[in-house]
Amino acid sequence: MSTDEESGGHGTYLDRVRGLSEPPLWVVGLILVALVLLPIWLGPFWTRIALGALMWIGLAQSWNMIGGYAGYLDFGHGAYFGVGALVTGIGMNTLGYPFLGGFALAGVVGAVLAYVIAVPTLRLRGAYFAIATWAFAEATKQLALVLDITGGTFGMSLPTGEGTIGLPIPGGPSETFFYYAMLVLAVGTVTLAYVLFERREFGYRVKALRDNQDAAEALGIDTTRVKRQVYVLSCVIAALFGSVHAFFITFIHPTDVLAAIVTDQMVIMALLGGLGTITGPILGGIAVFLLQRLSSLFLGQTTFYLPLIGGIIMLVVLFAPSGIVGILRGETTSTDVRTNLRELADRFQFR
Amino acid sequence: MVDVGLLLQTVINGLLLGGIYVSIGVGFSLAFGVLEVIDFAVGEYVMLGAFAGALLAPTFGSEGVFVIPLVFLAFFGVGFLIQPFIHHVTSGDRPMPVLMGLVFTFGLAIFVRGSVLTLFGPNNRNVPSDLLVGGVTIPGIGIFPTVRVVTAAVGVFALAVFMYYLYNTRGGMAIRAIAEDRTNARLMGININRYQSIAYGAYAGMTATAGVFIGLIFTANPGMGLQYTAFAFFMVVLAGLGYLPGVIVSGVVLGLAQSLTAVYWSGEVVLFVLFALIYVVLLVSPSGILGKGGEHAS
Repeated sequence: MSTDEESGGHGTYLDRVRGLSEPPLWVVGLILVALVLLPIWLGPFWTRIALGALMWIGLAQSWNMIGGYAGYLDFGHGAYFGVGALVTGIGMNTLGYPFLGGFALAGVVGAVLAYVIAVPTLRLRGAYFAIATWAFAEATKQLALVLDITGGTFGMSLPTGEGTIGLPIPGGPSETFFYYAMLVLAVGTVTLAYVLFERREFGYRVKALRDNQDAAEALGIDTTRVKRQVYVLSCVIAALFGSVHAFFITFIHPTDVLAAIVTDQMVIMALLGGLGTITGPILGGIAVFLLQRLSSLFLGQTTFYLPLIGGIIMLVVLFAPSGIVGILRGETTSTDVRTNLRELADRFQFR
Repeated sequence: MVDVGLLLQTVINGLLLGGIYVSIGVGFSLAFGVLEVIDFAVGEYVMLGAFAGALLAPTFGSEGVFVIPLVFLAFFGVGFLIQPFIHHVTSGDRPMPVLMGLVFTFGLAIFVRGSVLTLFGPNNRNVPSDLLVGGVTIPGIGIFPTVRVVTAAVGVFALAVFMYYLYNTRGGMAIRAIAEDRTNARLMGININRYQSIAYGAYAGMTATAGVFIGLIFTANPGMGLQYTAFAFFMVVLAGLGYLPGVIVSGVVLGLAQSLTAVYWSGEVVLFVLFALIYVVLLVSPSGILGKGGEHAS
């Protein structure tokens, strides 16, 4: 990389892409106020789009915690989203809980499951971890499809028109209600990620673990413990988003909420925005979500965004591994792309 | 009482299926050996092969068998040209090369699956064949579909040719040397680009050819790839990453497991059993149940 001189050539590459220089507090405040006021100006349709974008920003940020900050490529993260959705449905249908009960249950079940999975799985590294988490997610989906309690292949409808804490919401849960629910969750997730990973010692431990696990161990960091904490935290967040999502769409099916594409999208959003940064998943989340919604809206093609997304992943990995954030910070310039292209052309010399 | 006839028939059917799985697993294992990247797109080559069979067969007088050499050559070319991209992502001064390689093939898989889905729709297609109809009767046991017998025979034949190339020619030696140690192989004057591309091309060609046969036996649809990615992972995880002889055993185990579970339990749980097994085997013994896999994927 040609930026080695600027950064002194020290530190790993990901350190250099840590985040955009932090925007001043008043800008953040302004954005927050705008987000709170947004549903007043937008109609129900665009509010729906906005709440979807908020959900994906939060999910991408949760994946970024384990994938970007800790460097563990979790290809089964979507399982927790699905489990959160299904557990909420089971809580409301089978156990008769109000939504908040189901929401809390989703968090608890997500945490316990994540811990149980974390203990053996996090011993694996690299590709082994990726395959294992992927197999875990697919096994979860197949299990949900044959069980009765999840509705099996029939799916499950959630009670509608009920209140969150047993008390009815005026006018029933609406787009606006869910917009604010997602807003609180997404802002909470981003704030938590910022404080934990950029402002606390915890963040340095996690990054040390990512950059060199053995060295981190030698420095006295209990890497096993740190890995588990990050994994459980990120999984619980995914489960909570799944819970609100289930209450919002009111009909859930294992092949939808546990689909591999849920994980795929989280990975892509974090990667496209910039791994291991706070702003990356936000920018990537908005970009990919809008790409998906707008392509299905204007092209009338619901599957066209798949090759688009796949193509984007390949291009990002090839030419801009630090994502949108890297481009904005000038780490991926046209010179870098040219160097990359020249190196790539060299690989085609077969003689 | 166990019906001995049915049991025998199921076991033989499983062995016949195992033959074709072995050729997928061996190619996949080799691709991992030379590129040190787990190819998430493996199932998509199977899907593309089956699809190519279904689309091209009508131009060959509705005979899927004639498509096979064409598919092998075409996908050899495709793999040959894709390899430099993967190699580029996993080498040089890039950070987290293994993870970037994984994500790249992951993107490739989504791209291929999405393109086929968008271009041809989600429907099932058949690979027609008039040559491979009817059955082969084994007296006292039962009748076996010709398709399956030929599939297994071709799988074994492809494997034999491939192993001959790998162990008895200079090119095969170069590929094995690269799998052993890329840097040293380069120092010995081996053109890494060429032989890695040949290996990846052979893998893509073999896998797509296996896909045509799978299309002949079952059906072709854009979503089928995921299942075969799982099968390939299952085989190499069971065998140990990069350990070729182990793949032969685990391919047969996979064929048997699939046909026995479908006959004696339920077709619905096959995938659950498989995924659960991959997960457990990875945890208990990451170097495979035979304990001979490489550990350099971390």
